[in-house]
Amino acid sequence: MIQDACRAVDASPPVSPEEYAKLCEFFYRRTGMMFSEKKRYFVERRLQERIVKTGSSGFRDYFALLRFQASGEELQQLVNLMTVNETYFFREDYQFDALTGSMLPELAKARARGSRIRIWSVPCSTGEEPYSIALHVLETWDLCDDYEIEILASDIDSRVLADAADGTYGERSLQRVPMALRQQYFARLAGDRYRLRSEIRDSVDFSTINVVDPLQMARFRGIDVIFCRNLLIYFDDLARRETVEALYECLAPGGFICLGHSESMNRMSSLFRPRKFGDTIVHQKPAEAE
Amino acid sequence: MVLVRSSRSAAEPPPVAVAEADDLPALLAGLDAPDPAVRRRAVRGLGAHPQAVPELCARLLVEPALSVRTVLFTSLIRLKSPAVVEALVPLLREEDAGLRNEATEALQEMPEEVAPYIESLLRDPDSDVRILAIQVLSALPHSDAPRWLVQVVEDDPHVNVCAAAVDCLAEVGGDEAVAPLLALKRRFADRPFVRFAVDLAVRRIEGR
Repeated sequence: MIQDACRAVDASPPVSPEEYAKLCEFFYRRTGMMFSEKKRYFVERRLQERIVKTGSSGFRDYFALLRFQASGEELQQLVNLMTVNETYFFREDYQFDALTGSMLPELAKARARGSRIRIWSVPCSTGEEPYSIALHVLETWDLCDDYEIEILASDIDSRVLADAADGTYGERSLQRVPMALRQQYFARLAGDRYRLRSEIRDSVDFSTINVVDPLQMARFRGIDVIFCRNLLIYFDDLARRETVEALYECLAPGGFICLGHSESMNRMSSLFRPRKFGDTIVHQKPAEAE
Repeated sequence: MVLVRSSRSAAEPPPVAVAEADDLPALLAGLDAPDPAVRRRAVRGLGAHPQAVPELCARLLVEPALSVRTVLFTSLIRLKSPAVVEALVPLLREEDAGLRNEATEALQEMPEEVAPYIESLLRDPDSDVRILAIQVLSALPHSDAPRWLVQVVEDDPHVNVCAAAVDCLAEVGGDEAVAPLLALKRRFADRPFVRFAVDLAVRRIEGR
């Protein structure tokens, strides 16, 4: 069966460099995702798979379907294929550097010692992101003893939340965690598995959330930093707008939102002010927000 | 311990104010509330009420807070209809560039509703409005978009309007656009940027 599918993909007409460029440009405009030449094999393979599966006669036929299908279903299919759903500790950690090097110091400056700073990871999947935030704050923010850091973590999938709360991970998730941190914060289990120590597990508050449900989103207010990475690329334009606007309401004035590296806020909303911290751009709700 | 677990239960009920989502008179009254956050909540709630389109459209013209205006456009996209398009099209003539751009982006989100207005927009006496209409077409998922753009290339007297259409055709045009594009290059033979844009568009269309 798999071999048949591979043969079918191999038999589909090749994609010319111009067609590839055209697809990448279109894909970028619609999703904000950019593919470099290095990703060409990855993109072409999936593109040819969709050309075959949709019964299109070739690139031009398929591109017309992508471009003009009113429901946008095929674009969604392609987006799903182009997105790698994997997570691990310290993924895109330059944003964590921006958190402890720039965002937290800026937030701390504006409030009294001992006050609370709230960070929300959504979607949090199996917990690698919120736990990475916890470890990074503990390890790298000098002022962390002076403030109460509250970490919230939410996902629509209750199964991944159970795994997140359990806090047990294998090598794949921990590939970027240095041995010293493993020894300090994890207990080694059988079969090369590691479990986070309870004081870290218990410090993160996990809950289910559907970000497109206004009633559920209304539970979250006064958040100082939101990590919402690699979620909005799955949404259509309207859902993206509505979700970003809902996240705006969740933030405290002056709060920050961090998106995935391939997501572009200026294609979704003009509500936020872009801020560049080191290698990353984050988006800030104006302090004098109206 | 510097990390503290939330004192708030994630399962706690939402604020009472959200429960007013079905109360149309209350939501309409909320449009005039002094607090922008209350106005945004009202606008978001009205996004589920097609009968509120006139009030939402009217609010666009007087709303002073940019955040509320942004949410107004989102609710109007959700409620997309000929009445919404009728209200948004005049905004393409607005002095306020932000309002014009947001109207353009909103119209791109309603292909079927905006389609009946495209031909008249492309014949508008104001060339800036025609360029904005082409911007609407640039991201409009509608199968007539290439035909409308070819029409512009064939008929429009203004070089900037034609150039905007050429850029668009480079992305969405098919074989039928090639001859009109080459004719345009001859029509504006004294404009090097047109020659350059047409050559690029034709190369893209022919997959060279």
